[in-house]
Amino acid sequence: MSGYDKDSGGGSAGPDGPVPTRAPEHAPPPIGIAGLKLGHQIAAACALAVIAVAACAHVAMLFFHVAPSNTATKQHGDVIDEWIYPEFEQNWKLFAPNPLQQNVGVQARAELDTAQGTVRTTDWYDLSAQDGARIDGNPLPSHTQQNELRRAWDFYVGSHDNKNRPIGLRGQLSENYVRRIAYMRLDRESPGGEGDEIVRIQVRSRTTNVRPPKWSEEKVSTKPVYRQLPWWTVTPDDLPLTGGAAGDDAADGGRAGAKGAGR
Amino acid sequence: MIRVERPLTRGLGKVTGFALGPYQTAIIRIGFAATWLFFLLRELPHRHEMYGPDSPWNWDMAQQLIAGNGAFTALMWSDGHVWFEIVYTLAVLSSALLMLGWHTRAMSVLFMIGVLSLQNRSIFIGDGGDNVIHLMSTYLVLTRCGQVWSLDARRRARARGGVRDEAVGEAGALRPDAGEPVDRVGPVLWWVLGLTLAAVTFTGELNRGWLVIFWGLLAVHGLWWAVGRRAPHSELRKLLDVVANLVHNAGLLIIMVEACLIYATAGWYKVQGSRWQDGTAVYYPLNLDYFSPWPALSELLASHGLVLLAVTYGTVVMQVAFPFTLFNRRVKNVLLAAMMCEHAVIAVVLGLPFFSLAMITADAVFLPTSFLRRLGGWAARARDGARARVLSRLSRRETLPEQRVGSRSQDAEAAEHARVGFTP
Repeated sequence: MSGYDKDSGGGSAGPDGPVPTRAPEHAPPPIGIAGLKLGHQIAAACALAVIAVAACAHVAMLFFHVAPSNTATKQHGDVIDEWIYPEFEQNWKLFAPNPLQQNVGVQARAELDTAQGTVRTTDWYDLSAQDGARIDGNPLPSHTQQNELRRAWDFYVGSHDNKNRPIGLRGQLSENYVRRIAYMRLDRESPGGEGDEIVRIQVRSRTTNVRPPKWSEEKVSTKPVYRQLPWWTVTPDDLPLTGGAAGDDAADGGRAGAKGAGR
Repeated sequence: MIRVERPLTRGLGKVTGFALGPYQTAIIRIGFAATWLFFLLRELPHRHEMYGPDSPWNWDMAQQLIAGNGAFTALMWSDGHVWFEIVYTLAVLSSALLMLGWHTRAMSVLFMIGVLSLQNRSIFIGDGGDNVIHLMSTYLVLTRCGQVWSLDARRRARARGGVRDEAVGEAGALRPDAGEPVDRVGPVLWWVLGLTLAAVTFTGELNRGWLVIFWGLLAVHGLWWAVGRRAPHSELRKLLDVVANLVHNAGLLIIMVEACLIYATAGWYKVQGSRWQDGTAVYYPLNLDYFSPWPALSELLASHGLVLLAVTYGTVVMQVAFPFTLFNRRVKNVLLAAMMCEHAVIAVVLGLPFFSLAMITADAVFLPTSFLRRLGGWAARARDGARARVLSRLSRRETLPEQRVGSRSQDAEAAEHARVGFTP
């Protein structure tokens, strides 16, 4: 395919006539399937047929999986999905058709039951800004900084309607996921004092258009747009990494966040 | 002879007689295993947050999602912390050993298990790089990717060095198994994996498809070993060799097609985007907080409109054109170099080192053999040089006999020339 193999068969190939006889002692032993006895040759031919069909089928399935919706995928989409999912799923629309042109920041705040018995609401913590700050100057950003919150929010948005109502099981799961990430991240900020406990959390997104390049005449609003979710009640059981494994991450990163940003 | 045979017969001889692209499959084996290994080591402090039972995406949530799609992950067999640590450790070990080519085929299966187990456990933590490794880990199982640049190849070369005359005299052709060394670890490994598989089968955690795959792999390995041991020059052994070559070549083809599909999809969808048309597409990722680890650098790049236009158009042209350039060796190589460079830049500028490494590895399957062999030569010289320096330092201290140093570098030489199978 890529032309590793350039046989130097320079123009000496004759017509399909009889192969000129050669002294057998000079001929190399036949290679591959030609070197087998008839019975084994048949077995090898069968193997060849099966493998060739399987490889072609797989390539065809891959093609239709990544191709735009078309006649074949409309008629046989179930067959293709059956073959592809779950292990061969793929999406290569990287920055396509258009790259993302907005910075989506996920922010969270907590409601605390204080030791004095009062209720206090914290400022907003810009968790995405914290991620961004930890990525800055970092040659090896962690998936926990670059993907976790970002993709969780995508997952939430993709499985909820405009009124924040979950769509199916994925909607429920994404809600839990975002809540647990936000809870974990707020808890690391330890927003309260001794004896204070986080009882409710609220999450919102802050979407800002990337300013068009300076040579462009385009005008876009750079005013942030907020999407605020309802308050969620949390219990200590919801807090991730409490099973004796929490310590690993807490020290990492520091207080990079812009506390109260975008308020 | 080959010259006058018809192309079909010649092609048939090639795909059944050789595991093609020994250097290409070796470099992607090393590349993907190393990428995953570095990734796992880098995420070691974050492993619980990403894949652990108490992660934000906890075990129960993963269970609910996996119940719906049936994805394979050993992490769902138990929600214990110890089990999690075992799986993570095995994933690290199997990547390291696959990279080195130690019992390559068995390690490729374990590598796949490690990749699928971790990635399918938390599908929302990954990105395109994880996706590439996920796919390639399954395809690598099909290939004979340890023919060169592996501990397996070195072991075979050493064994062949001992029994060279006999092996060549009887088998005639140079075969990967011409001098199969007595391998004590292989059978032990086989039994350990077999017993583990039996235990897992007993727990009922594996679905029917995976049972067929794993038991099939184990059976084939057993058969391969038995035939190689009892009847190394039999017809059956030759048949097995032919089938192994066919599977390898099909796997290699799929890996190449997969790489082409990645570029074709990425390119053709970009063509449709207005930002890629007006030449500003590259400007936007540079201004996203999640993809700008070096804000000053991003700003510098983002301020040059014509440079961005060139990069934007160049990217689309390269991605769309790449699959077609495979028909012309020279153009393909130029494009390949350009795409590898672009991915190296992406690694730094967009802060996606593991994604870029995975993509560069995928590109490497198209590198020409001559270049890869030169690369191997440099690597071997660097290694021998380092070894000689270490040895001379040691011998100065311990007065190691001169002769022993000599025989060692001879071994290294033999290993380097242990290329088998097809080379143009």
